[in-house]
Amino acid sequence: MPGTSVLDDIELIIEDVSGGGRPPAGRDGGDSGGGGSRVPGGRSSARKYAIAISAAMVAILMFFMAMVAAFLVLRHSSPRWAAFQLPVLLWFNTAILLASSATLEVARKRQAAFDDKGFKRFWTVTTVLGVVFVVGQVVAWRELVAQGIHGSASLAVAFFYVFTVAHAVHLFGGICALLYVGLRKFRRSEMTRVAAAEVASYYWHFMDGLWVFLFVLLYFGK
Amino acid sequence: MRALFSNDHKSVGLRFLWLALFSVVLGMTLSLVMRAQLSEAGGAYANEDRYAAITLLHGSLMVFFVFTAAPQCGFGYFLVPLQIGAREMALPLLSGVSFWMSAASLVAISISILLPPASGSLLWLLGVTCFCGAMILASLNVTVTVIELRTKGMTLPRLPITVWAWFITAILSLLIFSVLVASSVFLLCDRIAGTQFFGVGTPISAAGIWQRWFWFFAQAEIYVAMLPCFGIVTHLLATYSRKPLWSERMAVLALCTVGLVGFCIWGEHMFASGLNPYTPLVFSMLASSLGVPALLLAACWFGTLWNAKTRYSTAMLFALGFVSLFLSGGLSGIFLARREFAGGNTGDAFVTGHFHLVMGVAATFAILAALFFWFPKVFGRRLNETLGKIHFLLTFCGVYVLFMTMHWIGLFERSFPPGTVVRIHGLSGIVGVATIATVSAQLIFFVNFFWSLLRGESTGAKNPWRATTLEWFVSSPPPSENFNGGVPVVFRGAYELGVPLAGEDFVPQHLAPEQVAKLR
Repeated sequence: MPGTSVLDDIELIIEDVSGGGRPPAGRDGGDSGGGGSRVPGGRSSARKYAIAISAAMVAILMFFMAMVAAFLVLRHSSPRWAAFQLPVLLWFNTAILLASSATLEVARKRQAAFDDKGFKRFWTVTTVLGVVFVVGQVVAWRELVAQGIHGSASLAVAFFYVFTVAHAVHLFGGICALLYVGLRKFRRSEMTRVAAAEVASYYWHFMDGLWVFLFVLLYFGK
Repeated sequence: MRALFSNDHKSVGLRFLWLALFSVVLGMTLSLVMRAQLSEAGGAYANEDRYAAITLLHGSLMVFFVFTAAPQCGFGYFLVPLQIGAREMALPLLSGVSFWMSAASLVAISISILLPPASGSLLWLLGVTCFCGAMILASLNVTVTVIELRTKGMTLPRLPITVWAWFITAILSLLIFSVLVASSVFLLCDRIAGTQFFGVGTPISAAGIWQRWFWFFAQAEIYVAMLPCFGIVTHLLATYSRKPLWSERMAVLALCTVGLVGFCIWGEHMFASGLNPYTPLVFSMLASSLGVPALLLAACWFGTLWNAKTRYSTAMLFALGFVSLFLSGGLSGIFLARREFAGGNTGDAFVTGHFHLVMGVAATFAILAALFFWFPKVFGRRLNETLGKIHFLLTFCGVYVLFMTMHWIGLFERSFPPGTVVRIHGLSGIVGVATIATVSAQLIFFVNFFWSLLRGESTGAKNPWRATTLEWFVSSPPPSENFNGGVPVVFRGAYELGVPLAGEDFVPQHLAPEQVAKLR
């Protein structure tokens, strides 16, 4: 049955997609080896990351929505639900995070206008604001713990901790992305800094929106 | 050593397969231990906690590392870029990370059984969470790859059904596993921080916790595990029948429906029960929810087989075995779905028999079919067909005797009022013998596998099964960048079989219309 046939000898029509600036096949070097694009040229690799981050955001949204569903169900059914006062600091943190989204957009505007210095400045401001937010959250947790409000006390408190910690962990990923875009020199990369900044901005705004949603939920739902 | 840490999709896929092989060996050994315990104590077990822990380990190894990881990550990673004409996965780093997270999770889950229940179950939970994370990364990778890296001409309708299955599974697992992570977080908080998300109102034995936790996680995986198997089997049936896949669109639609239904049913259960892992489960859901799309798929399978000049190679036999097992398992599922099985006692032999037949054995058959089919591609050598056929016959008869008898035991047990201890010595004996026979039949497979790996007949022709898809037109094993630095161009669908052309009966996907005209 098996034997060589005419069909085996017909070569695949190979399209060369290596383009000009593609780095030599760095298979072991992390994300840089994934060429093979449908659209020859540089555009598709940015699209690849945009799709990846969108899919990741769907997964993250599912993660939080599952917890929100549990929150909404248990709020009415659990006998261990005792309301508590949210730390006032959260309002400040929310303002910081919203401001960071704004500065991020300003940075991208500067970048589009080829003002590299302005981009760098506002990008750094965004990163710092992100760090301030996380630090603010940590302070808020310590405040609560100092008041003797622990997760084991009431489900409302437990949900507060779980939501804020989970969000902070995800936001920390965002800070890493900001640092990566800000510090890396995109010279030999298959992606431009503009594209990388765009992908990072999707995630950052998503984290911002998610926080506002969670804050509203905790504020009215506690 | 370099290959061990490479992020190349073929290397990662292969490592996932080795991981699965290791888990199979361990899992089967555990099932022998369980059988031995059962027959020794005549149906009751000496140490219930220990037995439950072994059950959990057997179940988690099989469901997570074999049925979830092997078809989706093992074959998926290896074949998706080859079949869609890409040089690599979209995010190679994620391939590597997802493998190492799975490996870490395997270690954690295996060790957990050696620890005392409290810390053991904590470690088990951490292992499962880690595995969920790995699967999220893996499915992210597959999703992006299929969306973005399809080669020129590889439109969605031209995708092989296998790629469809991997793609849908990836989307499904992206959604399901993130919810699982959420519930793991809650469980972990309960265990570590003393929160009470899962208000443990009713006292429950340690043995019960082991089993129910497992099913809490595993029920979602049923769909994730079955979907790629459907894809693989459908692909193989068409290829060996030498006929175009009967109503390919419907098959794709059915796969999508399985995904959708799987997510809805599971999600509904998850949310309606307030994420309670202690609600009695769930087995019957498989039958009731998969019914319609499974019927559609069966129609596609039989439509393809109808009047076909089938080549009965071992891979095809295993694919047919899958169809048989899936259908007969589905029949017993109807009973489960119809009758109110209050309490959902996981120890019930009828249920055990049912889901082993549908999920466990059927999925194993699909994996074996895939292995026999793609072994020449992966290793450049062929598995021995004679040994393969003997292995198939023994396994096929063995599992039917084993699990059908288990169904009977279950029915007998049901016909007595609860509380009475029924011991069916004769039937238990048959189950024991059949287990040993089936497990020893696997030795033939291992001999075949390792012998063929080292000194098997080399493939000779590039394309031993006369398949149409792209992976068969590169050398075996495939070169490091798959298509020598470029990407191929695709001109047609994956199932142009039974078309006479140049002494053959198929048209490869990459053959341009002009070339076809010339060959005619």
